[in-house]
Amino acid sequence: MKATHLIPLRGRSSLALGTVSVIGLAAFGWPFLTDPGSALDSSHAGDAPLLFVAILPLLAAIVLAELTSGEMDAKSVAMLGMLSAVGGALRALGPGTAGLEPSFAIIVVGGRVFGRGFGFVLGALTIFSGALITGGVGPWLPFQMMAAGWLGFFAGCLPRATGRMEILWLAGYASISALLFGLVMNLWFWPFASYGPETSFVPGDPFAANLFRYGVFYLTTSLIWDLGRAVISLLVIGLAGSALLRALRRASRRAAFDAPVVFER
Amino acid sequence: MIRFDHVSLTYADALKSRAPVLRDVNLSIPEGELCLVIGRTGSGKTTLLRAINGLVPHFSGGTLSGRVVVNGRDTKDHRPRDLADVVGFVGQDPLSGFVTDTVEDELAYGMESLGLPPDVMRRRVEETLDLLGLAELRNRPLTDLSAGQQQRVAIGSVLTTHPRVLVLDEPTSALDPLAAEEVLATMQRLVHDLGLTVVLAEHRLERVVQYADRVVLVPGDGRPVRDGPPTSIMQDSPIAPPVVELGRVVGWRPLPLSVRDARRRADPVRAQLAGLEAPARPSAHGAAGNEAEALSPVALTEQLVAGYNNVPVLKGISTSLRPGEVVALMGRNGSGKSTLLKTLVGMKRPTSGQIRVDGRAPATLRPSQLLRHVGLVPQVPADLLYAHTVALECEQADRDAAVSAGTTLGIFERLSPDVPAGQHPRDLSEGQRLTLALAIILAARPALVLLDEPTRGLDYTAKHRLVEILHDLAREGRCVVLATHDVELVAEVASRVLVIADGELVADGPTADIVVSSPAFAPQVAKILSPQRWLTPTDVATALAEVTEVTQL
Repeated sequence: MKATHLIPLRGRSSLALGTVSVIGLAAFGWPFLTDPGSALDSSHAGDAPLLFVAILPLLAAIVLAELTSGEMDAKSVAMLGMLSAVGGALRALGPGTAGLEPSFAIIVVGGRVFGRGFGFVLGALTIFSGALITGGVGPWLPFQMMAAGWLGFFAGCLPRATGRMEILWLAGYASISALLFGLVMNLWFWPFASYGPETSFVPGDPFAANLFRYGVFYLTTSLIWDLGRAVISLLVIGLAGSALLRALRRASRRAAFDAPVVFER
Repeated sequence: MIRFDHVSLTYADALKSRAPVLRDVNLSIPEGELCLVIGRTGSGKTTLLRAINGLVPHFSGGTLSGRVVVNGRDTKDHRPRDLADVVGFVGQDPLSGFVTDTVEDELAYGMESLGLPPDVMRRRVEETLDLLGLAELRNRPLTDLSAGQQQRVAIGSVLTTHPRVLVLDEPTSALDPLAAEEVLATMQRLVHDLGLTVVLAEHRLERVVQYADRVVLVPGDGRPVRDGPPTSIMQDSPIAPPVVELGRVVGWRPLPLSVRDARRRADPVRAQLAGLEAPARPSAHGAAGNEAEALSPVALTEQLVAGYNNVPVLKGISTSLRPGEVVALMGRNGSGKSTLLKTLVGMKRPTSGQIRVDGRAPATLRPSQLLRHVGLVPQVPADLLYAHTVALECEQADRDAAVSAGTTLGIFERLSPDVPAGQHPRDLSEGQRLTLALAIILAARPALVLLDEPTRGLDYTAKHRLVEILHDLAREGRCVVLATHDVELVAEVASRVLVIADGELVADGPTADIVVSSPAFAPQVAKILSPQRWLTPTDVATALAEVTEVTQL
C-alpha cells in the first residue's frame, strides 16, 4: 500500500538529512576508517573522537528542525506526538527487563504508513521522549536518535506489498534492524573503553584487525540483548502488525492528510 | 456575524464525481441569534458547521468556493486557530475533545493556548465555573463526571476564550435524554444571558425548536439549503417534532412550536375528537386484549430481588412479558431499569425470587444457549462490535449463533440498506451501529429482545426506521423490552409501559393508561389533547380523516 508522506523530503531537508547522516556515519564508523598518522590517530584518540559526541546533538537538532519546518500541519504534529509518546512510553520496558523493546515496532509501522521523512523524525523523537521518561539522557542519546531515525527512514523505503507479505517484510526488517541497531550503537563507546586485548579497539591497527576484534566484542557482549530485541520486534509486528497498520491507515484516511485545501472564488 | 456567500464545498474524495456536499449556500446569521441547523445524518450539517470556524476545508481538505466570513474574518485567510478567539466549537463526544485531566485545567487550556495572562485566566475560570454550575466539580477528574457534566465542561472550555459565536455539533447525541436536557438548558441560558450567537445542530427538535430564532434546513444530496423563521421552515420540513406534526394535521397557522402554543388553540380539536376512541395498541400477535392473556409468557419474574452485594437494586419485581408485546421500561436513572435488563439477559444473578426466560433461568445458561432465548442491545452498541469490517462482524455472529453463513448480513441489510459491508463499524452512523448490533442479536432468533436506551444519537429518520423494525419484531411474535427516557418513542411503539422507581414496580399497564396523565412521561400530543387518550400525530390524523368522511356522508 502507498505511504502517506506526512513529512515530505524536499531540496533543503533532504540535503540536511543527507549531510547529517554522512557525518553520523563517520561518528559511528571512525574507528575503522582512520589511517595511522591521521588526525584521529592514537596521539589524539582520547579527545578528537569526542568531538563527535559533542556535535552530534547539534546536528540531530538541526535535521529535526529542518524536516519539521513549515510543512507540518496540526494533524501531522498530533500524529507524530501521539506515536512518539506511545513509543517513548514503551521504552520504559527497555532497560532492566531483558531489553524488551516493543517501541521498535511502532517506529517501523509508523515509518511504513506515513513515509520515510516521518519515520526518521518519529524514530528520533521516540528515543528522545523515551530517554526523558526512563532517565536515559546521556552522550549516547544523539547516537541512539540517529540510529532510530535511520530505522524509521528505511522502514518508509520498504517495497510495496499488501496483506501477509507486508507483515513479513516489516517483521523481517524490524528484527534484522534491531540487531543492526545494537551493532551500530556499541560503536559510540567501544573505542574509548578497554576490555582486554582480544576485544578492544587498537588505534592505528589495520581495518580488518579492528573489525575482527569488534566482531568478537559484539558476539560476546551485546548480541544476546539485541537478539531479545529482534525477537520482541518480530513478535509484536507478527501479532499486532496488521491491527496497527489498519488503525494507523484508518486514522490517516479519516484525518484526510493528503487531501488538498483549495479556495475558489 | 456569520455570512455564507455562494458557498459550495466538495471533499477531495468526491472531486472526480463533482458531487458537492454543500451547493451554493447563502446564509447570514446576525449577532445574538440562536440558529438551529437540522437535517438527516450525513446531509452535510457537520460540514456547514465546521465551515464556520474554517475546520472545513483547512482541516478536512476539499475545495471551498464562495466566501465564509465570521466577524469580518474570511476563513480563506484565517485558519481555525486564527478564529479561536471568535468561534468556540463543541463536538458530539466531549471525552474525545478533552486535552487535560481535571475540570479546572480543561477550562484553562484554551486560554493557555491563546497566551492570556494568568490573572485573566484565573478570573475567567471562576466566572465560567459559576456560569455553567460546575463549581463543585472544579477539581474532579473529567472521566469521573457524568456525560451531561462532561459536555458542560466542554462548552465551558470554549467559553473561557470569550468567543462571540458558539457552534455546537449535535452536543446531545452521545447523551441520555436527561443529560441532554441539562446541556440544552445550559445552552439556552447562554443565549439569553450572554447574547452569544449560537449555531446548533440537534436531533431533539421538541426540546429546542421553540427557542430558535432561525432554522437552517440542510436537506442533503446537494439540494439547496433553506433558512428562515422556525414557523415557516417547519411548515414543510421533512423533520419535525410531534407538536409541529399535529399542527400540520390540524392545519394550524402559524404552526405552534411548543406544547403551550398548541394547548391554547386545541379546544376545537378536542371537541372534534371528543366522541372518538383512540386506537388501542395491538398487544400480542396483532390482536388486542384478551388473546394476549392466553399466550404463555416469554419471560416471568416473581418477587425478583437483584443488585450488588447487600444493596438490592431491584426489590421484588413480579411481572410477565408475553410474545408480541413491546414493553417500555421507564423510570429515572438508577431506578433499576438496567439491572432488570441485565438480570433478564443473565448478566446478573437474582439474589432471591424467580426469573424465567423462555422457561429457563437465564443466569444458568451458557452464552451459546442463552443467545437463542434472549439478546440485549447495549446502550453503546459499539460495545458489541469488535471486528474491523461490517462483513467480518456478521460472519462472527453467524458462527456464534450457528446459523448458515450470510444470515446476519441479510438481516442487517434489511434493517439498514445501502451500507457497504467493507465499512469499519466505527465509521457507521449511530443509527447504523444500532441496527448492526440488533442484527447480530437477531441472528440467533431470540424470543426476547432487550434494548437499552436505543434512541441515543438517532436522527428522526433512523428513529422512524427503528419504530418500524420494532413493530415487525412484535408481529413476528417476539417480545421486545426497551428501557428508555424517550417518551415520544414510547408513544409511537410501546403497547405496555412498566414504571420502575427505587427498585419497585410502581405502574404497569397499557401505554395510554400510564402516560396520558403523567407530567413526566406524556408525549407532546398527549399533553396537548389530554384528558383524551391520543398519543401520536398519526393517530389523530387517522381519526380526523374518519370524522371528515362521516360528516361528508
